[in-house]
Amino acid sequence: MDLIKPGTHIDFVGKMKMAVFISWGLILIGIISLIYHKGPNWGVEFVGGTEIHVKFAKDIKSDDIRSILSSAGYSAESVQQLGLPKDNEYLVRFSPKVVAFEKIPDFQGILEQTFEGVVGKGGANMLRIDYIGPKVGKELIEKAIISIILGWVVILLYLMVRFKFEFALGAVIAIIHDILITLGTISITDKEFTLTIVAALLTVIGYSVNDTIVIFDRIRENLKKVAKIGFKQLVNDSVNQILSRTIITGISVFLVLFALFLLGGSVIHDFAFTLIVGVVVGTYSSIFIASAFVIYWKYKRGVLT
Amino acid sequence: MRRASRGWIIVILIALLLSVIFLTPTFLGDMLPGWWGKVFPQRGLRLGLDLRGGIYLLLGVRAENAVEQELSNMKELMNEELAKDKVLPKSFQNSGKTLTISFFSKSDLEKTRKLESDYKEIADINEKDLSLSFTLKDQYIKELQKRAIDQVKETIENRIDEFGVVEPSIQKAGTDRLLIQVPGATESDRQRIINIIKRAAVLEFKIVKDSGPTQETLLAKYNVTTPDELLSQGFRLHPGNPKDVQSENEKFFITESDAQVTGQYLSDARLIFDEYGRPAVGFGFRGEGASKFGKLTGDNIGQRLAIVLDGTIKSAPVIQERISSQGRITGTFTLDEAKDLALVLRSGALPVPVDVEQEQTVGPSLGRDSIEKGKLSMIVGGVAVVLFMMIFYRLQGVIANIALGLNMLFIMGFLSSFGVTLTLPGIAGLVLTMGMAMDGNIITFERIKEELRVGKSPLAAIDAGYERSLWTVLDSNITTLLTALILFWFGTGPIKGFAVTLSVGIIFTIFSNVIVARVIADLIYGGKKVEALSI
Repeated sequence: MDLIKPGTHIDFVGKMKMAVFISWGLILIGIISLIYHKGPNWGVEFVGGTEIHVKFAKDIKSDDIRSILSSAGYSAESVQQLGLPKDNEYLVRFSPKVVAFEKIPDFQGILEQTFEGVVGKGGANMLRIDYIGPKVGKELIEKAIISIILGWVVILLYLMVRFKFEFALGAVIAIIHDILITLGTISITDKEFTLTIVAALLTVIGYSVNDTIVIFDRIRENLKKVAKIGFKQLVNDSVNQILSRTIITGISVFLVLFALFLLGGSVIHDFAFTLIVGVVVGTYSSIFIASAFVIYWKYKRGVLT
Repeated sequence: MRRASRGWIIVILIALLLSVIFLTPTFLGDMLPGWWGKVFPQRGLRLGLDLRGGIYLLLGVRAENAVEQELSNMKELMNEELAKDKVLPKSFQNSGKTLTISFFSKSDLEKTRKLESDYKEIADINEKDLSLSFTLKDQYIKELQKRAIDQVKETIENRIDEFGVVEPSIQKAGTDRLLIQVPGATESDRQRIINIIKRAAVLEFKIVKDSGPTQETLLAKYNVTTPDELLSQGFRLHPGNPKDVQSENEKFFITESDAQVTGQYLSDARLIFDEYGRPAVGFGFRGEGASKFGKLTGDNIGQRLAIVLDGTIKSAPVIQERISSQGRITGTFTLDEAKDLALVLRSGALPVPVDVEQEQTVGPSLGRDSIEKGKLSMIVGGVAVVLFMMIFYRLQGVIANIALGLNMLFIMGFLSSFGVTLTLPGIAGLVLTMGMAMDGNIITFERIKEELRVGKSPLAAIDAGYERSLWTVLDSNITTLLTALILFWFGTGPIKGFAVTLSVGIIFTIFSNVIVARVIADLIYGGKKVEALSI
């Protein structure tokens, strides 16, 4: 079965200039949003927040608690069951954006009313309300950033050996591009920046590199053949030759991610959302950023006219 | 086309067998037959706090004790300072947040005045008759308490870490509580972890003054009726360890009130065995600790040295000779008790005591509903991909699915055998791995199709397809592996969790794409005449 007719020729290279403009635009919007929101919307794990310990009189599911809270405008960051399921005791955590530190004492009453509005008077018993400190320090993020940057150096070195410098640099630029746009999207949609999102971002990096290398690999192979065509044409041919792989892999990945996104529940939802954005951007950047950079590099060096 | 390599088939079968053995406990759990544990590992895949939950502890930190300690530290420091000026204070008294020093003469008090400048930052100083009182400022008390809680948190973190628990969660709650969640943990581990966490682990070495069968008889020797009165004479009453009492006369001990050598000087503590082969704890001193301990033992040869742990006499051997660097604590320990005691001594004493206010099991921090939904969505997504591959690539799709299934099995088996704790970031690593494994197969299949298109025979196309796609697959996997290893080196907690599953996953993915899929293809087509390829 063929998805893409053999011999298909789409002019990708011709659209690269426009793509670079779009990318810059998206990156700028993301950065503006990050500045406007004063950095990422850090989750409770990083900055601490409010925790309540609540006991319900009747059976209730954690998702019910989430929906009661979010419809009252106090979306919970996590709802964790305490003791046995029949105890109906839960730990609910809120980020400081939902409950400011000085409002914690009043919050207990507000919450009790919110719950009782749904489960009836005396149905929800607040056992404890506390301000809780962060679970992981910001140094986790610092270390993550350091190791990601070191990772770029390693990618750069490996691809320099296996390909050429401009390819290596192109791949790393594509990764940076993907992270910036994904981070920007998280910021624009005002999603909370949790450890789960960190994991998703790391996954996006992995996917982006993989996708870029597959295209580079084909360009390298075609370069070895006696070239009668210009480099631009060669890149365009290479992208077209593996287009069906790009699309089929894309479909497989999306089948999984959409299942996670639609059926995964609230926590997995954000994870899947980040991955979907990252995978789309990652696939796009392999063609329009990584490959475009190699062409641009050759052009600047006068290798290409 | 070649026939399947017999060597690789054997390797694959062994890997399959090992994975099944290591994964069986994960899936059967309590249903494992009794003989299983004698032959095979019993521990399956461990899940982290976010996926499975664990123990929940709410600890009350008695931060107010920090004030009392600060006052007695102040007392000691002042005593030293005053001794330099040859001032002998009449008495020290601390009550609440105030330390009062009384003097015999006005001139002694005047000499003490220079101390005021050292303390005026942290205490309000009042003079009354022949005494000076230092009352700690509220701001400073708050700071003291905060520091005490931070120290308790750090100590407990170290202890849990040393116990070998992966990714516990320890958070400050309110002003004077700690909220601890420890993943998984069996019933027996649970009790140990709680003991490790709450143990004050204050170790003191003091010279025994007396011992006796009851409190009253001992107190009577000093003409007092309560332990507090004894304290004002500079002595302290300690109970002996009931498990270790060797004679009736050793139920209670009297020692000096303050220890000259404490656990804070320890440089090392570890599990050892005594001459009867019983578990004990060996400890070592270095530097200042060694010279202090040497002085204590050297000055008191022939006397008994009380080894006091959390206020109870663990043992009281007679000092035979001066010892400075090494010692041991014997008693009736089980192996685990001795191990755990060594662990808490290494990590240091809690600066203030803690109380366990609440202890409960806790569900997964991602929420039980979320986990259920997550599982369902993973299954749906997985099945969709498997079907898609089968419809799109037919027989080759089936090969890819088998290779992918084996890959997953190998990875999970490996993770179980090494006791890796799986968390959500770990699963993210697995999702990436699976995506790349799938991509590897797709790259190969598309390549085979291309080769067919240029007119190669089916078998030649398979050969060429696998060969030509080899380096594409290797390059992308090696690059990812290198970055995963860096994340593993520098990352902490969840980042590390991601890196572990990703590195393990990538290694097996290379194996699965390059070897397993090829071996299956060879098994099907090897040595046969094939007219058309099902792709």
